[in-house]
Amino acid sequence: MDLVGYLIVVPLVAGAIVRIIPDAFKGLKEGIALIVSAVTFYISILLFRQGWLESEYFGRVIFKVDTLSSFVILWVGFFGLIMVLYSLGYMRGKLYLKQYYAYMLFTLGGAFGAVLANDLVVLLSFWGFLGLTLFMLIETGGPQASGAAKKTMVIVGGTDALLVLAVTLVWVLTGSTSLSQPSIPTITGLSVFAFILFACAAFAKAGAMPFHSWIPDTAEHAPTSVVAFLPASVDKLLGIYLLARVSLYLFNLSGGMMLLLLIVGAFTIIAAVMMALVQHDLKRLLSYHAVSQVGYMVLGVGTLNPIGVAGGLFHMVNHAIYKGCLFLCGGSVEKREGTTNLDELGGLARYMPLTFFSCVIAALAISGVPPLNGFVSKWMVYQGVIELGKRGGHAWVIWLVAAMFGSALTLASFMKVLHTVFLGVRSKKGESPKEVGPTMAIPMLVLAILCLGFGIFAYSIPLRGFILPAVQRVLGMPEVSAWLGWWSPGLATLFIVVGIVIGLIIYLAGRLKATRTDSMYVGGEIIPAEVRVTGTDFYNTVSDMGFFRQIYRAAQKHAFDTYDIGQKFSFYFVRGFRAIHTGILPHYLSWMLAGIMVLIIILLR
Amino acid sequence: MSIVQGIGYLVIGFLAAAIIGMFAHWFDRKITARVQWRVGPPFFQPVYDLVKLLAKEVIVPEGASRFLFLSAPLFGLAAVSVVSALLIRTVIFPQQTFLGDLIVVIYLLTIPSQAVILGAFASANPLASLGGSREMKLILSYELPFVLAILVPVIKAGETIKLGVILQHQATEGAVIASISGVIAFVISLICMQAKLAKVPFDVPEAETEIMGGAYIEYSGAALGLFKLTQWMMMFVVPFFLMMLFIGAVNWRQSWLNIVWAALIYIGILLFITLVRNTNPRLRIDQIMKFFWAKITPIAIVAVILAFLGL
Repeated sequence: MDLVGYLIVVPLVAGAIVRIIPDAFKGLKEGIALIVSAVTFYISILLFRQGWLESEYFGRVIFKVDTLSSFVILWVGFFGLIMVLYSLGYMRGKLYLKQYYAYMLFTLGGAFGAVLANDLVVLLSFWGFLGLTLFMLIETGGPQASGAAKKTMVIVGGTDALLVLAVTLVWVLTGSTSLSQPSIPTITGLSVFAFILFACAAFAKAGAMPFHSWIPDTAEHAPTSVVAFLPASVDKLLGIYLLARVSLYLFNLSGGMMLLLLIVGAFTIIAAVMMALVQHDLKRLLSYHAVSQVGYMVLGVGTLNPIGVAGGLFHMVNHAIYKGCLFLCGGSVEKREGTTNLDELGGLARYMPLTFFSCVIAALAISGVPPLNGFVSKWMVYQGVIELGKRGGHAWVIWLVAAMFGSALTLASFMKVLHTVFLGVRSKKGESPKEVGPTMAIPMLVLAILCLGFGIFAYSIPLRGFILPAVQRVLGMPEVSAWLGWWSPGLATLFIVVGIVIGLIIYLAGRLKATRTDSMYVGGEIIPAEVRVTGTDFYNTVSDMGFFRQIYRAAQKHAFDTYDIGQKFSFYFVRGFRAIHTGILPHYLSWMLAGIMVLIIILLR
Repeated sequence: MSIVQGIGYLVIGFLAAAIIGMFAHWFDRKITARVQWRVGPPFFQPVYDLVKLLAKEVIVPEGASRFLFLSAPLFGLAAVSVVSALLIRTVIFPQQTFLGDLIVVIYLLTIPSQAVILGAFASANPLASLGGSREMKLILSYELPFVLAILVPVIKAGETIKLGVILQHQATEGAVIASISGVIAFVISLICMQAKLAKVPFDVPEAETEIMGGAYIEYSGAALGLFKLTQWMMMFVVPFFLMMLFIGAVNWRQSWLNIVWAALIYIGILLFITLVRNTNPRLRIDQIMKFFWAKITPIAIVAVILAFLGL
C-alpha cells in the first residue's frame, strides 16, 4: 500500500476503532482523533510535496495525485486537524460524543478518497459515503438537529442520485469511467445533460443556489465545529473541486455551459447575501455567507480563463480559511454566552479579545478589504470576468457588477456582526465571560493569521505554491508578470504600513498619552438601562423597501427553497398513495387480502 | 520597486493629498461663508484646526473597545494615502501600471468609511451606532451606481481595468466625457462622490442637528484630527480619481498648461460640491437608498448600454 492508501485507510480504520471504544474512555477517543488527524495532515503534506502519484489497485489506476487534487487534500488534511483540535474544547460536556469523533475521522477518509479518485465510480462511492457521514455528524447536534439532517440527506442524497446518472451517461458517451480520459465536448444533448447533472451534485455539496437550503438549517442546529468543518470548509473544497475537475478536465465546455455557471454564480452571490443581511442568528447569518461566497468560486471557474479559474480556486481556499475562522468564533461566543441570537449578544470585545481579533480579521477578509486574502482572490475573479469581454459579448458587466456589489453587501453584513456581537453595549450586565481556552483559541488564531499571510504574501506562498500549478496544466500559465506589473500584495502591505506609521506620527505629535476615560455623551438625554442599539435592525431600511419587502416575505415562507418546492411537488404526485395510508389496520388487511386474491388468480390461471 | 522608493511614493502621496485636501477644505468653507454673506476663515485655518486638535487631550468613552476606537482613524488615513500615491504614480508613469489597479482603488476608497464605521461602533455610544449604520447604508446606496458609472470609461478604453491605459486612451482618443454616455456617467459619479464624501444632502452619518455628529460624536483630540485630515484628503483623492477616469486628468507630457487646466477643473468640481451642499436639505437614509437604487442606478445602466453602443 502506498501513501495514498494509508491516507484513506488510516482515518477510516481509526474511525471504526473510535466508534467501538466505550464512552468511558473519552480521553482515549479524543487522543486517537487528534493523533490520526495530525498523521493524515502529515501524509497529505508528503503527497502534496510529491505532487504526482498514480496509485494502481486491481490493475487500474484507481487513485491519482495531480496538481489539482494534491493541494485540495493538503487543505482537507489541514482543516481536519484544526477542527479536531477545536472540538476538544468545544464538544466538552456535550452528548453524542460516541459518534462524533468516529464520524469526523470517517469524513476525513471519505474526503481524501473522493478527491484522489481517478475513476468516477470510486468517486461516486466516496461521495455517497460522505453524504452519510454528513448526516450522522449533523445528528450529533441533538434532537432539534434531526430536521436539518433530514433536509441535508434529501438534498445531498438526491443530487448523489443525479451523480450516479451522470457517471452512467459518461460511460455511455465514452465507454470509460476514468477521469484521465480525453475531455468530452458539451455539444450533444447527452453530454450537456451529463455536465448539468455533475454541476448539480457539485452545487449541492458546495451550497450554490438553488441547492443551498440545507446549509442555513444545518448551521443553526448542528454543532458549530461540524458546521465549520463541513459546510464551511471541506464541503466547499469538495464541491468546487468536483466542479473544477469536470469543467476543466472531464468536459470541454461550450459557451452555453459557461453561461450557466456564470448565471448561477452571480445569482448566488447577490441572493444569498441579501438574505444574510436580515438574519437574527449569528450562525444562520454566517451560513448564508457560506452560500454567497460559493458564487465567487463558481463565477471564477465559469470564466474558464487562467486568471479567473485561479481566482476561483484561490477563493475556495480563502473561503475555507476565513469562514472556518468565523464559524469557530461563533462557536466560541456560543460556548461562553450560551446563545448565538444576535438580539441577546453585545459588547464581548473586552472580554474575549482573541476571539474578537480573529473575527475582525476574518470579517474584513471575507468582505474583500485589502490587503487580506479575500481581496486578492476576488480581485483575480474580477479580472477573469473582465477577460470574458475579449471573447465578445457584453454580459460580463452583469457578472462584474453583481460580484462587486455583493462584496459591499457582505461588508455591510459583517459590520452588523461586529457591532452586535463584539461592540456596542453588553446585554447581560454584571457577568464577565472569560476568553475561551487554548484548544479553541489556537485554531481561530491560526486561521486569522493565515488570512493575513495569504493576503500579504499572496503571490509567493499560495499562488505560486499551489494555485497556479493547478491551473497551469489545463489552461496554460497565466501571465503573472502582466497582471502584477509593479504592484504586488506585499507592496500594498508596505504602503498601508507606512500610511499607518504616518498616522501614528501624527498621533504622537498630539497628546496621545493624555487620554482620559469619561462617560459617553448622548446630548444630555438619560438612556434607560434596558435600551440599547443592537444592530440587528440596521438593514430594515433595505427589507422595508417596497420591492424587497415582497421578496423577503416570500423567502420567509420558503417560497424559493428547492427542498420545500420539491416537497410540495412530490406530495402533489403521491397524494393518491397518501390517501391509501389511513393508519387503520382493517384497511391494510383488506388491501393485503385483495392482493393475495389477485396473485392467486394470476398464478392459477 | 524597492522599499525606499515605495516609502517615498507613499510620503509624496500623503503630503500631496494632505496639502491639496486642506486647501479644498478651506475653499469649501470660504465659499460657504460667501454664500451665507459671511467673511469666512483665513487661508491657513485648516492647519490651525489640525494643530489645535493635536494639542487637545483624547477622551475615550466608558465601555468602549479602546484599541479599535483609537486605531480606526489610522486605517482610514493609511488607505487614502495609498490611493493618493497610486493615482499620482499612474499620472506620472501611465504606461507602468498593473492590471486591476482600478479595482484596488475602488476597494481602498471604501476603507475610510469602514474606519469611521468601526470607530463609531467601538465607541459604544448609541448615537454613534446609528451614525455608523447609516454610513454603511450610504455605502450600499452609492456603490452600485458608482461601479456602473466607472464601467463607462472602462468600456470606452477598450474593456480594460488598467487606470494607465484609460489615461493613455484619453490622451490619444479624446476624453471620455466628450460622449453622451461619458457625460451621464460623469454626472452620476459626481452625485456618488457627494455621498462618498458624506456632504449634504447625503450627510446622514453625521447629521449634526439630529444625532450630533453621529459617527464622530465620541472622537476628540488627535483621533478626531486624524479623521478630519482623512476627510480633507478624500476631497482631493475622489475628485482626482474621477478626473483621471473621465477627463484624462493631467496630460502634462503634452503641455505644462494642462496642469493649470486640470487645476481649474478640480476647483470647478470643488465648487460643485460646495454649492450642492449649501443649497440642499438633508435627506433621510431611506430616501437616499431609494434615490440611488431606484433612480440613479437605472440611469447608470442606460449609460453603460450607451457606452457599449459606442455613443
